[in-house]
Amino acid sequence: MSEGLVPQRVRGPLFVAGGAVLATVLVAGLALLLGGFDPGQAAAAMVRGTVGSPSALLSVTLVRAVPLILSGLAVAIAFRAGVWNIGAEGQLYAGAMAGVWVGLSAGGLPALLALPAALIASCVAGAVWALIPALMRTRLGVGEVITTILMNFVAIHLASYLVRGPLQESRGVFPQTDAIAEAARLGVLVPGTRLHWGFALAVLVALGASLFLSRTRAGFRLRAVGASPSAAQVAGGIDARRVWTGAFLSSGAVAGLAGGVEVAGVTYALYEGLSPGWGYTAIAVALLAGLSPLAVLVTGALFGALEGGASAMQREAGVPSAWVSFVQALVILSVLALDRLRRTGTTLALGRSGGDVAEASAEDDGSGGEIGERSGGA
Amino acid sequence: MTPPRVRMSGIVRRFGAVKALDGAALTLEAGEIHGVLGENGAGKTTLLNILAGLLSQDSGTLEIDGGEVVLSNPRDAWRRGIGMVHQHFKLVGALTVLENLSLGLRVEGGGFGLPYARVRRRVADLEDRTGLHVPLDRAVSDLSVGERQRVEILKALLRDPRVLVLDEPTAVLTPGEVASLFDLLRTLAADGTAVALVAHKLDEVLAVAHRVTVLRDGRTVFGGTVGEVEPEQLVRAMVGESPTRTEPGVRGRVQGEVVAALRKVGLQHGPGWRLSEISMEVERGRIVGIAGVEGNGQRELALLLAGRAKPDQGEAVVPARTGFIPQDRTHEGLIADFDLVENMGLAFHSGRGLMPWSSIRVRAEELRRDYAVRAPTVRTRAGALSGGNQQRLVVGRELAVARDLLVAENPTRGLDIAATRFVRDRLVDLVAAGRGVEPPGVVLISGDLDELLEVADRILVMVRGRLIPVPDHARTRDGIGALMLAGGS
Repeated sequence: MSEGLVPQRVRGPLFVAGGAVLATVLVAGLALLLGGFDPGQAAAAMVRGTVGSPSALLSVTLVRAVPLILSGLAVAIAFRAGVWNIGAEGQLYAGAMAGVWVGLSAGGLPALLALPAALIASCVAGAVWALIPALMRTRLGVGEVITTILMNFVAIHLASYLVRGPLQESRGVFPQTDAIAEAARLGVLVPGTRLHWGFALAVLVALGASLFLSRTRAGFRLRAVGASPSAAQVAGGIDARRVWTGAFLSSGAVAGLAGGVEVAGVTYALYEGLSPGWGYTAIAVALLAGLSPLAVLVTGALFGALEGGASAMQREAGVPSAWVSFVQALVILSVLALDRLRRTGTTLALGRSGGDVAEASAEDDGSGGEIGERSGGA
Repeated sequence: MTPPRVRMSGIVRRFGAVKALDGAALTLEAGEIHGVLGENGAGKTTLLNILAGLLSQDSGTLEIDGGEVVLSNPRDAWRRGIGMVHQHFKLVGALTVLENLSLGLRVEGGGFGLPYARVRRRVADLEDRTGLHVPLDRAVSDLSVGERQRVEILKALLRDPRVLVLDEPTAVLTPGEVASLFDLLRTLAADGTAVALVAHKLDEVLAVAHRVTVLRDGRTVFGGTVGEVEPEQLVRAMVGESPTRTEPGVRGRVQGEVVAALRKVGLQHGPGWRLSEISMEVERGRIVGIAGVEGNGQRELALLLAGRAKPDQGEAVVPARTGFIPQDRTHEGLIADFDLVENMGLAFHSGRGLMPWSSIRVRAEELRRDYAVRAPTVRTRAGALSGGNQQRLVVGRELAVARDLLVAENPTRGLDIAATRFVRDRLVDLVAAGRGVEPPGVVLISGDLDELLEVADRILVMVRGRLIPVPDHARTRDGIGALMLAGGS
């Protein structure tokens, strides 16, 4: 199944993405109908609330898209290496905590120093949060799916503790921190909207990740290890553990940046429930994008629209905003199913063509195991 | 006249745009052993998979005992008495032989258990009749490849097949195992079973088969009775032209400096040693052959020499500019989902900075041309190539990087005649002087003694993790075979 999740050579991603969107729209529309809502009205509300006006697009959709794009990139980088990092949520919180901490103590610093310091702290914190599962996988062979999920809980509860304890606002009333220093905030990108410079940063990271994977030697090694650890190690002489560790750390850093950017660009403070599960939605974002960093920009915006449009739909069509989680789950399910379909389609055709080759690749498909079963250090 | 046991005619099967079979035919008579020959990608496995119900044909007919049938799954084929032993074993390693044999068989009178007692009885019967012995209570993962194959064959025999299909059963066997397999097939045929046998090695097929069918490019191009056809006729039918041969025993190359040296090297494996006290040197311009029964440490030796593993004991001095042709090309030699250029990149990625994609692409184009890799473009996925073409890709890439040393692990295993010839010639060319560059040294690990005798300058035998040099007077099949078994002690 792991092979199914990682289209190393992204072939026919439009088939998967397009099919998944279509399937989701049909099923979600049907669900609305069965629930007694008017799908047309709901869709109209969704469209108006997300792309209906420049302000809806810039202040709602794209603002929501920023953390989804960044954490989606984090997931895509890890998955491309065959690292099943389900911990973007926790790494995002780690980044938010570090960013807020630096932001709160950066009062006296100039913006040129304070903002980069806060964002770098976020990246470092995210990477550190990913380091523990990385070591457990590469040194002890413990599957990262479990460890990264568990680290999410630790991060979320640590954030709760901080906003009720050491970092609680000076009045001591609400479970949140004081607002961070002006110098540590991201400026507005488009005047008159809420779209901040974090969006530009997210686009830059996506471009960087794309170039990294396609152009650099380290990026090639990452893709090779993700596509076939055995061939990467034997034919390529690549140290797979090093690559896995590197992928974990970069993934954690980008997820941490998502948290830091959200704090520096939108909330200016840390509070409980800062993330409505972006780190998990990121998995859907990355999978729908076929793990391509540039496509994450599109799918991140799509999910941003979905979350942004949920409130408009609730307001205008009475559709509960929880419906969005349902849609997200549908997307993940249909992406997985369609991707499997696409790959088994090709695998079957090759697997029986009489070449020894393809038989072996069919076996390869089976041996990878479920997500996370691949232990490290093999 | 009784109709043949199996008659397949006009079989066409496409995979996407590729026509794997384009009018193939095969007739199997009761009591005969029928050799199915053809180059890699000729369609042998596809044709037999159709017979075994794993695939369906796009057009063409399949008749069993004169009646046309449609097999929609392997179970249908079983029911009609067609059993298949696959090239890649389909056994559960963690289960015992008995459990594996019992899987999928019904318990008499229903019930949920597995028919262990009945299987034991039947296996004992079969053992008496055929001399086929398997250790019923050992886990399959503990068995040698030859033993696993016997389990696969028993699994098929337990269902009383009237047609037994074996897809390249000899590729993984030692010469002794091949001989006993053939004895078994003769016994089965004498009992009236129709046996279809796919094999690459012509002499093996001629030794056991009564009739042969040759496939080329998805078509049946030749059929005849063994004893009435000349081997050259068959080779021509398989490759379409007569293959060129190099003279065996190429000698007189320049011997150069030592490029790799192992000194009293040991490699640990659990509490014991996988390799112990290994000392050897490889010089430029020399092919050092390593013989041995598979699993005696050749694999570990290859990884050490290629710099993919570090010794636990002793000293290993190996060069950086080393090419490595691993035995398992589909899993270790290349990445099926990467295209030719990216697979070429596996040899050119070290260091930092940008991948030199444009020069890698040029190299991939050259490789596709010089090694006649049959791929539409260098952007074709490696997984879409046939086995022989994949091996050309791996060999070409590794030869390009082997400036000081080449380590080749069974580089011709599973290849057809032309491809085997091609790979051996490239190895010999590589160490030949006069190309304007200093030739590398080559370590050739091979289970094929004829191959070693043909191309190696000197031969060492690996037995239980130790290396024994073969003295000149023992440089024969029998001499080396004796060392492989006895361990020279």
